[in-house]
Amino acid sequence: MSYEDYLDGGSVILTVAPTGGVHGKDANPNLPEQPSEIAEQVAACEELGASICHLHARDEHGENDAARLQEVNDAVRERCDDIVIQNTTGGQSTYDSRVQGIRTDPLPEMASLDMGPFNRGQHIITEHTRNNIDNLAAEMREKGIKPELECFNNGHVNEVYRLIDRGALEEPYYFNLIFGGGTFTPPTPENVLNLVSNLPENSEFNLLAVGRHQLPLTTLAVLLGGHVRVGMEDNLYYRRGEPVESNAQLVERTARIVDLLECDLATPDEARERLGIA
Amino acid sequence: MSCPYLEYCRSDDVHEFDHERPHCALDDSFVSPMKADVCNDRHDFEHPAYCEIYRAAVDEGVAGEAVRDGAAGDEVVGDDVVTPEVTD
Repeated sequence: MSYEDYLDGGSVILTVAPTGGVHGKDANPNLPEQPSEIAEQVAACEELGASICHLHARDEHGENDAARLQEVNDAVRERCDDIVIQNTTGGQSTYDSRVQGIRTDPLPEMASLDMGPFNRGQHIITEHTRNNIDNLAAEMREKGIKPELECFNNGHVNEVYRLIDRGALEEPYYFNLIFGGGTFTPPTPENVLNLVSNLPENSEFNLLAVGRHQLPLTTLAVLLGGHVRVGMEDNLYYRRGEPVESNAQLVERTARIVDLLECDLATPDEARERLGIA
Repeated sequence: MSCPYLEYCRSDDVHEFDHERPHCALDDSFVSPMKADVCNDRHDFEHPAYCEIYRAAVDEGVAGEAVRDGAAGDEVVGDDVVTPEVTD
């Protein structure tokens, strides 16, 4: 988790987030919403080197529907070889909806764990209390599900320390550092460096940056010995004025950059080993 | 109770889909998945309290007409839609 780690040639874990819960086909018709579409795109990304997929589920209208995570998981398992499934427990929904991401059968190997609420639109604050976080963390630990610790801003790193102090997490702690507008950490290289310097020992970090910040800041993450997430959840454009054609297009570009930087992409098994997934 | 201005349709002037999607009659635009939670009063997000479009229409007394241009939420920079939020 440092520039020295990059120089030493550690492998890079590439996560693809194909769908998310914010945008739909009205924003980009190539965004996969239905289970078969999601599975097909994830399989293409796995072939290109993605080792983790971060999954959301939609209903037949393209609206968020955590109850369909089971169907999405089944489709991905059917279509893919060995990619690690990471279900969402995030978004703006209530606890009962969030927890469905860690109650699929079989269980996912990973799940996201938002470290706090954030603002949406003009009148919304997502309901995500410390009590919710503690309950989700406890159920993940009990079930052997590796949490990805979603830090939407630098205060959320404090919340991870709180969980560590409570003994709620197992090493290595896997952070997802999120950069963008609104209540997210402002997307600058300086903020990336600062946040990484504040992470605890025995951590690994992934970097997510939205829109046009995805390409430069994920590249920076590789140079800092971190891992990267790309996909249409975070970015609907390949470049200015050019909508993304598929998640594979974004994954292919990142895989090419990682290769140019003389690193290897982690296989799913290498990602499991690196993150301590049983 | 869902917003009275929520409708489900397959197309508008710009889009055409093979399935019905949520559409806001006030804004004359398709609704993002995130906003559709509010349109449908899901997760305790009742539209009279949480929807800025509905609230603006009520405040202006022009509910039933298009009240504003463009969808809220997405920050448009040039031709790029810079997704301001993710849903992890």
